Amino acid sequence: MQQSEEAILRLTDINKTYGGAVPLHVLKGINLEIRRGELVSIMGASGSGKSTLLNILGILDSYDSGEYYLNGVLVKDLTENRAAELRNRLIGFVFQSFNLISYKNAVENVALPLFYQGISRRKRNKLAMEQLERMGLGDRAHHLPGEMSGGQKQRVAIARALITNPAIILADEPTGALDSKTSRDVMATFRSLNDEGMTILIVTHDPGVGAQTDRIIRISDGLIVPDYEMKTQSGDV
Amino acid sequence: MFDLFREIFQTLSNNKMRTALTGLAVAWGIFMLIVLLGMSRGVYNGFASRMTIDNARSISVYGGFTTKAHKGYSDGRSIQLDRGDLGVIESENRYHVEQVIAVKTLDTARVSTPRDYISDKIYGHFPAELERARLKMISGRFLNDRDLDQKRKVIVIHEQNARTLFGDGTEAVGQSVSLLGLSWRVVGVYAHDWEKATYIPFTTAMFLSGNDNKISDMTVRIKNVKDEADGESVEKDIRSTLSRAHDFAPDDKSAVHIWNRFTSYLTQMTAMNILDYAVWVIGIFTLLSGIVGVSNIMFVSVRERVHELGVRRAIGAKPRSILIQIVTESVVITTLFGYVGVSLGMIVTGGIAYLTKDAPFLEDPTVDLSIAVKVTVVLILAGALAGLFPAIKATKVRPVEALRDE
Repeated sequence: MQQSEEAILRLTDINKTYGGAVPLHVLKGINLEIRRGELVSIMGASGSGKSTLLNILGILDSYDSGEYYLNGVLVKDLTENRAAELRNRLIGFVFQSFNLISYKNAVENVALPLFYQGISRRKRNKLAMEQLERMGLGDRAHHLPGEMSGGQKQRVAIARALITNPAIILADEPTGALDSKTSRDVMATFRSLNDEGMTILIVTHDPGVGAQTDRIIRISDGLIVPDYEMKTQSGDV
Repeated sequence: MFDLFREIFQTLSNNKMRTALTGLAVAWGIFMLIVLLGMSRGVYNGFASRMTIDNARSISVYGGFTTKAHKGYSDGRSIQLDRGDLGVIESENRYHVEQVIAVKTLDTARVSTPRDYISDKIYGHFPAELERARLKMISGRFLNDRDLDQKRKVIVIHEQNARTLFGDGTEAVGQSVSLLGLSWRVVGVYAHDWEKATYIPFTTAMFLSGNDNKISDMTVRIKNVKDEADGESVEKDIRSTLSRAHDFAPDDKSAVHIWNRFTSYLTQMTAMNILDYAVWVIGIFTLLSGIVGVSNIMFVSVRERVHELGVRRAIGAKPRSILIQIVTESVVITTLFGYVGVSLGMIVTGGIAYLTKDAPFLEDPTVDLSIAVKVTVVLILAGALAGLFPAIKATKVRPVEALRDE
């Protein structure tokens, strides 16, 4: 297997078709490589296959053909249990609507992934507290999500993504539900995490967000748009 | 494990109304089960207090009329048991017969003191009658062997009669009463709920009736019997012994009437056990409707929490942990509210026990610890069953749900 040292994520000729009366060929051979420590954005119009790609990257969905290596592990035809384990250990999710559990306070939300690793309550709450402090939310630790602002909720969600020390953070429209100032704060948080060496992949349709990343990957009609085409198209966006 | 319960209590307290309504159905079911079990236990205890395996080991025999011609005698002949039968039954059936006692009934007579008198049937009895009839001596003693040997003129009376005759029952012992023109000494006063007979020694009664040898009935105490077949075989042996002594056909059931307490005790025990099973079945079906309620609500709960379950799956919850969580949640609800029902049931059966403490056929209608243990097992199984299908549905929630906006 020829795999570059620093590639943390590599997709080779990924195809995905949704069955049904009229089968829908959504991903038509995606090739993609993300190196350790990169801050990358994936952009594309709705219906471009962007969401499907994110599901596959997040091991939330399967693909029909091709190969997907994450942190040196081939992610293919996994059992539900194995997929859950890989998601838990390798991927930190940040969602557009935060997806915090409403009846759990900030510390409990952040600590939840460690609950599924069987780590003791005392230890996981200590680690969760550290992550919250890192996000500057130490004083909000015992607040419920309903008692926090959008920006605070998203930083709690980022703390939750970081707690298992994952190989990569997958963020799905992380600023989609935030105002522009808060969006900038959240992007600044991603940037500083990236400066500390974290690999981050942001799916967005907001060009402003894309512009703040090291590299933009465009997806259109189930295919990655090569860089040279992108330059010629950039004026349209 | 403790962590899992913390998770569950958080979920349950997040939906207090739903939890309470679900719990109510279970609490009601288990309440009914406990009350029913308590009542059946009361009936059982009432039976057990009147009848034990020890005093059930006896067979009473009464004389009757033959219905079959035998050995030259025509049918319709009256069979009169006599004193000789006691020894014959004992000597011919040594393995099964422990003792044979008989009753000599005298005509109604007047027992009087200077103060007052009573008219009552007078029974000549053996000392063993004390235990068989479960008499409770409140002063003095019952008849003894020496009374019988010496044909003493002693008498044992019921406390109510003692009060009539002497004003105060406690002073009766040692005093004299007059009966059939003779003077008798009161040796004991007894208490019993319904038996109020007046007892004199069997031999004295025989003597008073001119040693006619006739006896009213006899009671055979039996031993070495374990099951219904043993009981029936003893009964058959006694009948056959008597058929030879009195020349009636061994299969003539009317010649002597036999009341086999041992086999009827076993039959009643079987009936009691059937009652017990029936109550469990009824109770469990009542509980079942509660369980269906729990299952239903768990389905709703899983449906409402699809998004949350998706998030949990996305951040690494395995299907198994979701399954365990939902099933445990159901078990916790069922058990928690089950015990509310158990407690209420205990209080109500306790109340019934208090209100019916004088009723003869219901004694201590409460449930004991072994039932509480059985009920716990039932609750846990029921809760697990109620949670299983919703839990399986919950594991089918795909983690992609987490990405869907609410």
